[in-house]
Amino acid sequence: MGRLSDRRAFEQYAAQAEQRWETLWSGDRWVISVGISECSIAKGALETYRHLELLLSDGHIPGVLRRVGCAGWCFAEPFVEIKLPGQPPIVYGWMTTDRVPDLLDALRRGELRPEWALGVRAGESWRGIPALREHPFLRSQRRLLLEQAGIIDPESIDDYIATGGYRAFLKALLEMTPEEVVNEVKTSNLRGRGGAGFPTGIKWESGRRTPAWPKYVVVNSHEGEPNVFKDRRLLETNPHLVLEGLLIGCYALETQHGYNYIGGEHALALRRFQKAVEQAYELGLLGDNILGSGFSCHVRVRTGGGAYICGEGSALMYAIMGQRGQPRTKPPRSVEEGLWKRPTVLNNTETFASIPAIIRNGGSWYAALGTKESTGTKLVTMQGPVRYLGVAEIELGMPMRQLIFEVFGGLRDGYRFKGVQTGGVSAGPLREEELDVPVDFDALTPRGAMLGSGGFVVFDDTVCAVDFARYLVAFSRFESCGKCTPCRLGTPALVEILDRIRHGFGRPEDLDVIRYASKHIIDLSLCGLGQVAPMPLLGMLERFREEFIEHITERRCRAGVCPMTAVAPIAL
Amino acid sequence: MKPTKAGQTVDLEPLRRVLEERFRPRDYREAQELVVGACQEAQRLFGWVPPEAAQLIAEHLGVTTNRIYGLLTFYADFRTEPPGRHFLWICHGAACYVAGAGRLVEFLHERYGITGQGTTPDGALTVHVFNGCLGVCDLAPVAQLDHHEYVGLLSLERLQALIAELQGEAQTEAADGSTE
Repeated sequence: MGRLSDRRAFEQYAAQAEQRWETLWSGDRWVISVGISECSIAKGALETYRHLELLLSDGHIPGVLRRVGCAGWCFAEPFVEIKLPGQPPIVYGWMTTDRVPDLLDALRRGELRPEWALGVRAGESWRGIPALREHPFLRSQRRLLLEQAGIIDPESIDDYIATGGYRAFLKALLEMTPEEVVNEVKTSNLRGRGGAGFPTGIKWESGRRTPAWPKYVVVNSHEGEPNVFKDRRLLETNPHLVLEGLLIGCYALETQHGYNYIGGEHALALRRFQKAVEQAYELGLLGDNILGSGFSCHVRVRTGGGAYICGEGSALMYAIMGQRGQPRTKPPRSVEEGLWKRPTVLNNTETFASIPAIIRNGGSWYAALGTKESTGTKLVTMQGPVRYLGVAEIELGMPMRQLIFEVFGGLRDGYRFKGVQTGGVSAGPLREEELDVPVDFDALTPRGAMLGSGGFVVFDDTVCAVDFARYLVAFSRFESCGKCTPCRLGTPALVEILDRIRHGFGRPEDLDVIRYASKHIIDLSLCGLGQVAPMPLLGMLERFREEFIEHITERRCRAGVCPMTAVAPIAL
Repeated sequence: MKPTKAGQTVDLEPLRRVLEERFRPRDYREAQELVVGACQEAQRLFGWVPPEAAQLIAEHLGVTTNRIYGLLTFYADFRTEPPGRHFLWICHGAACYVAGAGRLVEFLHERYGITGQGTTPDGALTVHVFNGCLGVCDLAPVAQLDHHEYVGLLSLERLQALIAELQGEAQTEAADGSTE
């Protein structure tokens, strides 16, 4: 198939794709979709897929086997969605290979096995199986980015186009000026999803205003934090959505240079995004003179090799340029001097993925979602002993309590809630009594917590606050790039003090030393990551002060985790 | 992926082919952008980045060797020494930590002296404590074996059993190799 030369060719192509999509779902064949992403592969989705392939190959079941992406419900992986002719599609969870033959046999006999079903993809319940959207995990979610997750094949551009894909890019490219695109994004009040929450529209505008060429637009898909995995799920499940957002970004900046920087360890996300780029080139949605509009755009994919610091803006740019990923002093900001010393607009994966919906429905539509200052939806991941582990997409402003106890189903049996760590390794935890705070960019901050990139960790009372704080600071110590002294020497000092406390050799004045040293690290570090490195420790110290004191004065760890040795520790 | 043993001469031909096929920079900027990718390719082929490969990449992309080593030693994923027969990533993400990965890491340090990254003395297994999240938190604490197979819900006993199994396997493999 050749490149599409103009809008009409695209419309024709889209109409064909839509028709194929219609036929697939209304035909007299079974449609069997298996969710394949990193998390389901770990739980045996590939085996399930091969098993189904084998069972279908003998021809007794007239079926189409499809691959789809992750739908966010990690707790129910591997999942299989089966649509029988004349019936709505039913999603079955926990479909390991041993259950596959059972399920198919039952379905052929006309039984539905409702005990394995997550729900039915229809407006209401059907023959005793509740509607999928009434599932407690999905009921309170508002899915924009994950709307097609688990429905379309992430490695097929046709699926994406058939479900409305690339229309926003076409609208921007052919009906709007770059200024109008930027204005629309400004109206939406979309804020950066990577953690800092800087308004995207304003960033794009200052990128436009800087009089230097060429300009660059970069997607930050590095995601090296130890407790978040939303970006790679998004890339695994709908890479074209991110690519479309990036294309719109390039058009708004009037540049032909787009980049996506993906962490090297996200192998599947990397492969799927690369495939998306190749498909877009083949169709002529990337390359020179896109759809005859005169606008050209080239997207390059670059990878890193496992360094948390490369998620920081200036470090990421050095990493792309093939240097050690170390941050530099600012100003100049990257919209003035970034990649190759040219204006560079850098946004998170999720930010770019939000753009197509804004262009399609208008900025004010988007601004009506969420709260006044934090508009739109946010992908969040919750880890720890919660019932419904996975990626959820919520409207900003949802109370934390609802997020933990409704969307993620609360704690599993036998666990008692102790706290929830927020903002990755960049902020402090919340205790049970503070959970009514809304999840948005601003409300968490005065409490020493943070939305960050949306990774939360619930911990129960088998986790010691001192030990957990040590883990979080030790992460920052390990990942410190070593460029500036406060971070390079300060974080090991904090770890050393915490180790002393954990081993029962803490001194009462240690808590003051922690605060004093932390202040230095916060005030003097070069980059944002150093400036927030002591935050989890300070948060823990404030919330669970009594545990720290117990460790020091009574040499007792109530969780029974800390070593409390007879000899003082040697720093590792 | 068969790691190259130390002391063996490295066959650079596959790397040279890949470089010539897929790493063809159009200008000096692109050449620099491609360095990390080329190193990743070398590590995929050899299991580590041997000095000869680093030299080849430097020559191919027109950068200095010390630039390559600057990157190899900066990023945690690169190895400048040959790994063991198997490679194990232990996830040290927050979810795994909350579920008890800390004890596994401590065990590795006490038993084998491995902090962060290291190989067991018999060369059977290279363990890398992955500072980040593997994204399979449902199976926490989780490890990834040889870059494709996941071992979930690890306890200390399960980890010990896994290591023993891999060491046994490596021994038989080594024995087979010597009789050939």
